[in-house]
Amino acid sequence: MVFINEKMNKESRLKATINQRLTELGERERLKELLRAKLTECGWKDQMKAHCKEVIREKGLEHVTVEDLVVEITPKGRALVPDSVKKELLQRIRAFLAQHAA
Amino acid sequence: MKMEDMPLSGPDNTKLEALVNDIYSELVEDACLGLCFEVHRAVKQGYFFLDETDQESMKEFEIVDQPGVDIFGQVYNQWKNKECECPNCKRLIAASRFAPHLEKCLGMGRNSSRIANRRLASNNNTSKSESDQEDNDDLNDNDWSYGAEKRAKKRKSDKSQNSPRRSKTLKHKNGELGSSMSADPYKYNYNAGINYEMLGPDEVRSFLTTCGVISEHTKKMCTRSQRCPQHTDEQRMAVRVFLLGPSAPVLPEADSVAGPESFDIPDGQALMSRLQWEDSPEISPSDSASSKASTNHSDSRRPKKKKRPPLGLNSGGGIGSLSGGGGSGGSQTNISLSTKKKKPKLTAPSISSIYDDLN
Repeated sequence: MVFINEKMNKESRLKATINQRLTELGERERLKELLRAKLTECGWKDQMKAHCKEVIREKGLEHVTVEDLVVEITPKGRALVPDSVKKELLQRIRAFLAQHAA
Repeated sequence: MKMEDMPLSGPDNTKLEALVNDIYSELVEDACLGLCFEVHRAVKQGYFFLDETDQESMKEFEIVDQPGVDIFGQVYNQWKNKECECPNCKRLIAASRFAPHLEKCLGMGRNSSRIANRRLASNNNTSKSESDQEDNDDLNDNDWSYGAEKRAKKRKSDKSQNSPRRSKTLKHKNGELGSSMSADPYKYNYNAGINYEMLGPDEVRSFLTTCGVISEHTKKMCTRSQRCPQHTDEQRMAVRVFLLGPSAPVLPEADSVAGPESFDIPDGQALMSRLQWEDSPEISPSDSASSKASTNHSDSRRPKKKKRPPLGLNSGGGIGSLSGGGGSGGSQTNISLSTKKKKPKLTAPSISSIYDDLN
């Protein structure tokens, strides 16, 4: 167990380090912006908005909450990301890791 | 996907991949959340459904996706083959040519007045020369014609009348001679040939540079240069003799034409000064200036000439005398007029004889 914990600790430490690096160097922000732009470009945002409209019509305009939306939107959103966008982002993250990982 | 860049070994790769995917998921979730907040705010603030109207209007402006038609449902070259009736001339004009046609037709465009004037001028020209259609030779002759004169006059009318540049333009443009200055007094009656007595200073000056042979068919003077291939030197001589009297000065010969190009300007000024000089013993400033210039020139040119007259009053002098200027007092400036002339036959006494003839 100790080994597993150690391993996990190592992993989490690594993860923490990487995350920290991402934020420090501004890469996280850049990646976010890149993703948002790409999603808008490919029409993902409009698709999601249309879905939102349906949800709102369903739930009623006055009573819709953030939680409602999040619950409805997020799984669909994740699924609807085009493959090209996904691939590109993964590529960039990997490159970053290769550059800055231990 | 370059795995070879990874510094870590095999089993770590999967972990790294997992890490990468984790980061990716975080980013995507972030994006989704961002969208949710945006939408929620729009809903609560009431502007979420603003881009929608009632169903009817929505249907009306729906995006059209048919072949041959754009997204608004319009056909591309719908007006290509249509014809419009011009309200002015009542003709049927193609749609794409309608606007330019209207411009010309109504006379309101930028070029319409220019084109109309040009057309009128050329109509005048062609109507004059229509009688001589048989002989193309003459038409090619670049003859002086009234239309050209009018054109030249019109184009040059805004130039200053007193500027010394007159002579320069005269030298360079054989076809548009300086009739700009001689407006009314020097009328040309082309039916009977040129009215020779009324040759103005400019036309006379033109003899220095142009062929001048009068074409039998059109009765006009050839405006080509002295080397014009259609006329011989004898013809030119004959014309000058005919125009200027038996003591008319000679033509410049071919070789000498190329030489003293710069003479024209001072000569022109000298000519002008002489012409305007009416027995006044006083020498006007222009005279003295020009005479100075010309004498200088003539001095410098001396070695080049084969034969030089003692007085140097050649065709320039002879021509100048026609307009009745310059009395006997013309001594200094006269001498200066030794330009391209090579066969001077005038002597001092003959100068005054020329003047006498005219006066």
